[in-house]
Amino acid sequence: MLIVFFLEKDLSETKRSLIEENLKKSSLLKDAQFVSSEQALEKFQQNFPELQGIIDNININPFPSSFETTLRDENISSVKILVFIQEISRLEGIEDVQFNKDWVEKMESLSRLAKAAGFFLGGILILASFFIISNVIRLNVFARKDEIEIFRLVGATNIFIRIPFLMEGMILGVLGALISLVFLFLLVKFFPLYLGTSLGALNELINFRYLSIIQIFLFIAAGIIIGLLGSISSIARFLKV
Amino acid sequence: MIDLYHIWKQYQPPHWALNDINLHVDKGDFYFVTGPSGSGKTTLLKVIFREIFPTQGQIVIDRRNILRIPDHKIYKLRRTMGIVFQDFRLLFHKRVYENVAIVLQVLGIPRKEIRRRSFNALRMVNLHHKMWEYPSQLSYGEQQRVAIARAVVHNPKILLADEPTGNLDPELATEIMTLFKEINNQGATVIICTHDRDLIRYFGEKILFLYKGKLIRKETL
Ligand SMILES: Nc1ncnc2c1ncn2[C@@H]1O[C@H](COP(=O)(O)OP(=O)(O)O)[C@@H](O)[C@H]1O
Ligand SMILES: [Mg+2]
Repeated sequence: MLIVFFLEKDLSETKRSLIEENLKKSSLLKDAQFVSSEQALEKFQQNFPELQGIIDNININPFPSSFETTLRDENISSVKILVFIQEISRLEGIEDVQFNKDWVEKMESLSRLAKAAGFFLGGILILASFFIISNVIRLNVFARKDEIEIFRLVGATNIFIRIPFLMEGMILGVLGALISLVFLFLLVKFFPLYLGTSLGALNELINFRYLSIIQIFLFIAAGIIIGLLGSISSIARFLKV
Repeated sequence: MIDLYHIWKQYQPPHWALNDINLHVDKGDFYFVTGPSGSGKTTLLKVIFREIFPTQGQIVIDRRNILRIPDHKIYKLRRTMGIVFQDFRLLFHKRVYENVAIVLQVLGIPRKEIRRRSFNALRMVNLHHKMWEYPSQLSYGEQQRVAIARAVVHNPKILLADEPTGNLDPELATEIMTLFKEINNQGATVIICTHDRDLIRYFGEKILFLYKGKLIRKETL
């Protein structure tokens, strides 16, 4: 997205370079280009040759100088963008800012929607995996309920009986996590290629990316926990004898 | 050691599988429980190791009311007991050896010790040569002996046996009884359900007669 900061007329060199410095410092920007009022005029003349007469008539250059800046692709949080714009506008010498506010806000609400959908789907998938694991283990427990009974009758503690099933739940959880990590990897690697640029702005919104190492560990840990909980919930009623 | 106070057990009305049983068993006693089939012998044993709860009454073992022990602590009671089930209850996908060793494994005994004691228990019932076979490869009598080995391998304080010689020929039955007697001589309390009169005549000390859930006679020979 393009953001244009218009400068006051006859801005001193030092003030201008201060603004430039601030723009260059920002991690949100890919690029910040100074456009002098002469360049702006030239551009206008190139783009609208049929309006040449108007310019000739007013006799002075009506175009202020400006910084034209472009955002890095991944910066989609509109809050961040707005905060950034406000910060820069507060600097001495900035007269006006031009950017597509609508677009920013639309992106923001879209991304909020995408997040909500993500959490919703994630919640459903977590519940689903919990129930799948707990049912798989329930079937196993059921198939071995005579054995569990014998274990209880020869003096096995509940934990002794549970351990193999807990292991099973854990292994299922870890396997599930690993498989989905592989899928995520394939998705991130090949899906954008497949879609190419047809995704356009959506690409920024969906923002395919790998998980960080910490996230991967958390992900696997969550798999383990879901597996354990699924397992615990399915043995309990067979430990009554 | 074991006290039963007014034990009643009803599976389905109107029949009482146990009908007001009162019983005091001392430490080191050697009891036979006898009576016709369906008289409640198995049910009596089941309430003692708390596989089932009586409908009414209280059971005290070693000064503890076992009906009040929560499920997750009942293993402590079971570890003091050896039980030969009428239907054996072997682990059919585990080998004979493992069926016996499991009792020691749950106690957390070192592996070497487990091997030694499991082997000894199987030798006592004359099955050590089949310890790597599966129960399904054994005859009923042999399966019963596996169940017996499992019941005695951890030197239980209380040995409960439900028709433990039902599938054995007389010589083997005598051997098993001699084994139980030995365990009894080492201080264990033993209760054996049987309707084998010869065994009772030969080994009987204290005998309980059950009939339709009632304890109709106690005899001490
Ligand atoms: N699980 C059960 N459900 C219903 N009735 C039972 C059950 N177990 C035993 N009974 C009944 O209780 C009575 C006593 O059974 P049991 O204790 O097995 O006798 P025994 O061992 O002396 O043959 C019998 O009438 C039997 O049918
Ligand atoms: Mg019976």
